[in-house]
Amino acid sequence: MAEIDFDGVTKIFGVGPPAVDHLSLHVDDGEFMVLVGPSGCGKTTALRMLAGLEEITSGTLKIGNAVVNNVLPKDRDVAMVFQNYALYPHMSVAENIGFALKIRGDSKSEIKRKVAEAASILHLSEYLERRPKALSGGQRQRVAMGRAIVRSPQAFLMDEPLSNLDAKLRVEMRLEIARIQRLLGVATVYVTHDQVEAMTMGDRVAVLRDGQLQQVDTPQDLYDHPVNEFVAGFMGSPPMNLVRCRVRAGNDRIEVDFGDQTIELPWHYTSSHELPASGLDVVVGIRPEDVIITDASSPNTIQTRVERREALGAEILVHLSHVDPNTDPSAYAENARADISRKASLVAKMGPRVKITVGDVLSVQLSPEHAHFFDAATGVTLRKRSR
Amino acid sequence: MTTLITPPQESDDREAPTPPSRNTRAKVGRWALFFAMVVIAVVMLYPFWVMIITSLKSEAQFLSGGGFSWLSWKHLSATIPVGQEVLSSTIVCSASILIILVVGLPAGFAFAKLRFRTSTAVFLVIVSAMMVPLQAILMPEFVNVTKLGLTGGYFGAILVYAALGTPFSVFLFTTYFRGVPDELIEAGIVDGLGYFGALWRLVVPIAIPAIATVTVLQFIQIWDDLLVGLLFIQNTSERPITVGLAVLAAGRTTSIPELMAGSFISALPAMIVYLGFQRYLVKGLTMGIDR
Amino acid sequence: MSAITSNAPRVRRMTLRRRRQLSGFLFALPAIALVIGFIGVPIGQAVYYSFTQWNGLTSTWIGPSTWTQAFHNSNLWTALENNALLLLAVPFALGLPLGIAVLLHQRVAGWRIFRSIYFLPTAISWVVLGLVAERFFAYQGTLNSIIHALGFSHVNTNMLGYESTALSALGITFVFTMIGTNTMLFLTGLATLDPSLEEAARIDGAGRWRIFRSITLPHLSRFIQLAFVMTVIALFSALFSLIFVMTGGGPGYATTTMEFLIYQTGFNQGDFGTAALYGLILFVLTGIVGVVQLRLIGSNE
Ligand SMILES: Nc1ncnc2c1ncn2[C@@H]1O[C@H](COP(=O)(O)OP(=O)(O)OP(=O)(O)O)[C@@H](O)[C@H]1O
Ligand SMILES: [Mg+2]
Repeated sequence: MAEIDFDGVTKIFGVGPPAVDHLSLHVDDGEFMVLVGPSGCGKTTALRMLAGLEEITSGTLKIGNAVVNNVLPKDRDVAMVFQNYALYPHMSVAENIGFALKIRGDSKSEIKRKVAEAASILHLSEYLERRPKALSGGQRQRVAMGRAIVRSPQAFLMDEPLSNLDAKLRVEMRLEIARIQRLLGVATVYVTHDQVEAMTMGDRVAVLRDGQLQQVDTPQDLYDHPVNEFVAGFMGSPPMNLVRCRVRAGNDRIEVDFGDQTIELPWHYTSSHELPASGLDVVVGIRPEDVIITDASSPNTIQTRVERREALGAEILVHLSHVDPNTDPSAYAENARADISRKASLVAKMGPRVKITVGDVLSVQLSPEHAHFFDAATGVTLRKRSR
Repeated sequence: MTTLITPPQESDDREAPTPPSRNTRAKVGRWALFFAMVVIAVVMLYPFWVMIITSLKSEAQFLSGGGFSWLSWKHLSATIPVGQEVLSSTIVCSASILIILVVGLPAGFAFAKLRFRTSTAVFLVIVSAMMVPLQAILMPEFVNVTKLGLTGGYFGAILVYAALGTPFSVFLFTTYFRGVPDELIEAGIVDGLGYFGALWRLVVPIAIPAIATVTVLQFIQIWDDLLVGLLFIQNTSERPITVGLAVLAAGRTTSIPELMAGSFISALPAMIVYLGFQRYLVKGLTMGIDR
Repeated sequence: MSAITSNAPRVRRMTLRRRRQLSGFLFALPAIALVIGFIGVPIGQAVYYSFTQWNGLTSTWIGPSTWTQAFHNSNLWTALENNALLLLAVPFALGLPLGIAVLLHQRVAGWRIFRSIYFLPTAISWVVLGLVAERFFAYQGTLNSIIHALGFSHVNTNMLGYESTALSALGITFVFTMIGTNTMLFLTGLATLDPSLEEAARIDGAGRWRIFRSITLPHLSRFIQLAFVMTVIALFSALFSLIFVMTGGGPGYATTTMEFLIYQTGFNQGDFGTAALYGLILFVLTGIVGVVQLRLIGSNE
């Protein structure tokens, strides 16, 4: 078992922008590290460089204390689970799981014992003689896992291993993989674009965008303190409301133009935030769960109208657009001033029993304690680093 | 790659909802169709009929037209060294096919998965070689192989057959391996295989259907070939059976019933291989345009 | 960890991609060597020897005069003409199999057995088929029996015996030998045709012929192209066995095609230089067809 260290690792395919751009990331021994990011951001490429399947353009990659840039995959002692499982079609489940051991030259009895052990952890014992073709998707996934865990490698590498499963199975295997990883204590790099997986499985989560690392943190820190607008918008479902506002502020407060309405967010955090100069644009981020319905007399409320309502069973997503209380809603569009937050709208997450119908006019409160502020020009958080 | 292997399924639903008035007409049509198929079958079986009937006559019976006897079969081995020739054919076929596979499999793997700098161009050159008929290069080829002293035994013919079969096998294996997901090979490599190990322990087992296709097609091709065996095996006692037959036939002194008996024997192995592995043959033939 | 550090000798210097490429090259090398040695080099030699007087042992450079001589040689023109005339067999070698494949595709009772029977001659050597064809066309052969049975008892043919008919007999035999392969190709093509297309056309009121014309044929076009190329290449380079046993190129030069002329010139007349030159001509002819074939393959990739 070993720790993994990316130090300025870059991958450039031919010409064009780097697929992975100066990635520096440390994975502790036994840690479950999740790589997330939108499609094409370089997650797979980073993982493949770690496996030795892709050459590193520049930078240093270490497993344990050894630089592995030019070490052959077979000498790296890492195990990989592929998105499409890549099971050997001509081998039985048992042969699939035991293949790496056989190559390594383990004795027959040794292989048998380890395969049986892995199979029992993965509830595959009844299927050992079957060919992959005769297995369900979930079973194949488990065989792929089995192939990895049987080796007790330095590290597990997994590339979206659950994306081919149906929703229910995915939840099940999510827990299963996390359980096994904890059981074996092997450093794991897990690629996904599913943020629920990222939040629930990872000890820490690394968010990538266009090959660049945005933030590495525990899931909760990532959720609570996104370092930039991108991470804020990426993590959380439905995504955080991001509203572009102009600061009209003195030293202790900030005014937010929300459509024609202006609300004041008393600035509790002057100590913790870099306050931008008046006249600058900021992006205010509010998670849907922090948009709260109140009565109009409360402070910092805005008038909104329900445009759309999505009932998800356990919760309701309400799409809100702002309304100017002084204007007839139908005439509003023509009268509106050109304003940077003209198109502002919000998504609110509500309990399932809230009675709301499309067309309702609601007062919602944007609680400043839960708001995030980003520099509109750079997207970087205005929150001061606590360290 | 996989779509064409399955033979067309028998299905009766295509004619199912015919209104009663058209029923009889459809029935007549079906019978006419069946009759046509029988006629074609007779035509296609004609060579076998000629071989069998003719071989079951003595030379005298053949000339006069009537009667049957086993005489030609009994005297066959005296006229044509059938046993020796079948053995020669078998040796030449097996050795050539072995080389074609041993050379073609790694090359196909390389062109599909381990692409090197000029691999696309090299691949195209090799595939173009499929189009070069032996006759076009017959003279230099013959002189080269003779100068190398390879026309004495089987080696010259084996190498020429191998060289002629290699472009096709490279093409077929490359196309086949392109259909194998990269991840499968990569999984093996991460599991601890080198490239040779991946070739031997993953690629070859997965390629069994393609190997069967190459083997069957090349077997029939080489077994049935005349030109290479005729020129590149100088020793008459090492002649393959197809060559033996052709030379006797061209000499026009051999009894025709005996020639037909020999022909029948020569046709047998290829027919058996063909009937047993029909689907691989079809697959090989349509290689490159299937899907 | 020890595994990584301990065996880290000089090869580790090589980058992963270099190693992969090197392995790839080494894997391809035997095939490259075989093809270059036995096909590439002889093409070059053929070009050289076509400018020489060559008997297989010694060659003397005589320059382009071999070429002018060759083109004044009537045998070359006869052979080319024979090849051209044989091209007339190609429509039959495609049309008959197309019809047979369509019949098979109707799937009447026992069509699988018929399919196997139709393809069976494909397995037999053209040497053997040539021998059988000789029986068919012979004076006492099947053809005359059929003609007599039809009531023309005084008509006796001997197609292989006359210059005027021998080439036709060869062409007919060629068509027969190609039936199996081409039928197989077309049947495979038909099997990939989505039946619901025909279904839909039928519901739209299209007749059988119309369906065949506007749905089946266009669908088969790739297969027909492939069959065409394969048939033409066979015509230029696979008739040797048939000619060798059926006619020996005769009577006269009536059935001598390019490939047979090469063999005769080289091995019967010992004029290796001219034979090499003829080989080049054949190479160019098939090369033209080959380019078409590569186009077909290429358009698929
Ligand atoms: N072999 C390659 N050649 C050229 N470009 C490549 C290659 N592999 C990946 N890329 C490019 O590198 C970038 C990162 O790709 P990568 O596969 O790592 O993305 P990803 O984050 O895994 O995306 P996804 O979530 O869709 O799997 C993409 O822009 C992709 O087009
Ligand atoms: Mg990916």
